Amino acid sequence: MALSNTVSQKAKLKRKAPRSFLKRVFKRQKPHLRLEARGDLLVHLNCLLFVHRLAEESRTNACENKCGVINKDHVLAAAKVILKKSRG
Amino acid sequence: MADSYSPNSEPTTRTLLRRVLDTADSRSPRRRLSVRAGTQRTLPETRLSWRLRSQTKPTTKRRSHGTRSPGRPAHSQARRHLEEQTPRTLFQNILRTAPESSILKPESTGKPVPAPTAAQPPRRESSRSSLELQLPELEPSTSPAPALLAPGRRKQRVRLSMFERQVDQGQPVAQEPQETADASSLTSSLNLNFATPLQPQSVKRPGLARKPPPRRAVDVGLLLQDLRDASFAPTGNSLRTSVTTVPTDTALEDTQPFSQPLVSHSPAVPHFLPHPSHNENEDAERTVSHRTQSSQLGLQSDEVTEAVGSQDAAEAEELDVPSGEEDPSDSTAGPEMASSNPRSLQAEQPPLFSEPPPRPDATLRSSQAVPARPPPRHRAAGHRPRPDPYKTGLNHYTKLFRFYAKMPMEKAALGMVEKCLDKYFHRLCDDLEVFAAHAGRKTVKPEDLELLMRRQGLVTDQVSLHVLVERHLPLEYRKLLIPCAFSGNSVFPAQ
Repeated sequence: MALSNTVSQKAKLKRKAPRSFLKRVFKRQKPHLRLEARGDLLVHLNCLLFVHRLAEESRTNACENKCGVINKDHVLAAAKVILKKSRG
Repeated sequence: MADSYSPNSEPTTRTLLRRVLDTADSRSPRRRLSVRAGTQRTLPETRLSWRLRSQTKPTTKRRSHGTRSPGRPAHSQARRHLEEQTPRTLFQNILRTAPESSILKPESTGKPVPAPTAAQPPRRESSRSSLELQLPELEPSTSPAPALLAPGRRKQRVRLSMFERQVDQGQPVAQEPQETADASSLTSSLNLNFATPLQPQSVKRPGLARKPPPRRAVDVGLLLQDLRDASFAPTGNSLRTSVTTVPTDTALEDTQPFSQPLVSHSPAVPHFLPHPSHNENEDAERTVSHRTQSSQLGLQSDEVTEAVGSQDAAEAEELDVPSGEEDPSDSTAGPEMASSNPRSLQAEQPPLFSEPPPRPDATLRSSQAVPARPPPRHRAAGHRPRPDPYKTGLNHYTKLFRFYAKMPMEKAALGMVEKCLDKYFHRLCDDLEVFAAHAGRKTVKPEDLELLMRRQGLVTDQVSLHVLVERHLPLEYRKLLIPCAFSGNSVFPAQ
């Protein structure tokens, strides 16, 4: 293949997962535990899904209050619900 | 056995001794016993004798064994077998030959220069080995000039030169200054000097007499005092005045050249410690008064922990203030932040603060020093507080939140999102820990993650984990997570 193709393949990864950040957070929290190599990717996936649900919920709350802007209260209420849902 | 006597070095004593001892060995089978018995004891000495002899000529282990072992443990043997030579002379010969450097006898002026260097490593062993032997003999021979126990290594060169001088002068007894740790071979062979005072040396060579320790102690104490003062005076006047006054005092009092680093250190310290925040004014005043009274390291370490802890408390407070409801999790987050803060702070200031403050102490003190603090925190450029890397990570997800919300958001709402994420991470870690423990593991595996997502309702019978991975993760990560079959009957990632 042309050189440009290979170069572009090594382009920046959009939506990068902050792997070291996740690993560090886990280590800080549970220093006696170990996280596997691919585990942090799944944790990232979990965070994405959580944020997604949170955003949806807060958008719903804001729309219900007929606000064009998402407020703190909307986010707060949404967080209550979603955190309860993702109790595990 | 020793067959070749190289006549190059020490022809008289060493060769003589060797011949004598060899003949003695050949006579009696006791040599073997002594060798075996003596090997354990004389292992260091054999090594020593290796090094000693290596310079002069190649020596076989057996030879050194033969020479060493009978001499050491078996005084009686020597006495019995070597009637022609008195044990005393034998011992003297051994002792003189044992360390290569023992060429104090005018007859054996083989190599004065290399001998001491070679003898320095085996010094300890030689001293130990020849200690008992020397004890009875060397007392009379301990000359009026005892070994000079010079503490510093810098005196080694001086000692060598002195030794050379003495050797040239033909003095049998070398008054080498010794290191406190190990007696020099020369001196051990001739003098037993382990507790000789420094005064004779100073009397003889006043230029060598130095006393570094007392000066250093004072400097360290003053430096720490300055650091403590500087660290706890947070901003402005009290700090400046204290900093300026203390170094001037030290400059006035301390006429040593080391006062300058103190002065240079103290202005650097306030830059280093940006976090002493306003609520520590009270602490600073208390510490200032303390400082004037006491200048102890322990106190300093306590104050350091106080300062750090109070700053952590302030930071934790900031986080706690926005959210009212989720108190328990906030309380957990607070002390965690506080506790992790001292760690990072300590890591960033190792040269100044050698004592890492205990985390529980920091948390305790953070709870004590609680007063409300205005948000602005003065941070030096080089100083990175702990929340920054954590906040940048969270910011990553807040950006995603903005993207997913598709609506304009308030800035305060973003802070709210960060708090939620923080709580979420805590819960996530706890759950993973529980799942891993349930499986009897200490490592969190992807199966635990899958179970978590199943319990969260993300993964169902209809929607599998791989589907979610495909939907939300970029290709590179998908390739890592979803096993795919490749040519050659290989699957990546391996199951």
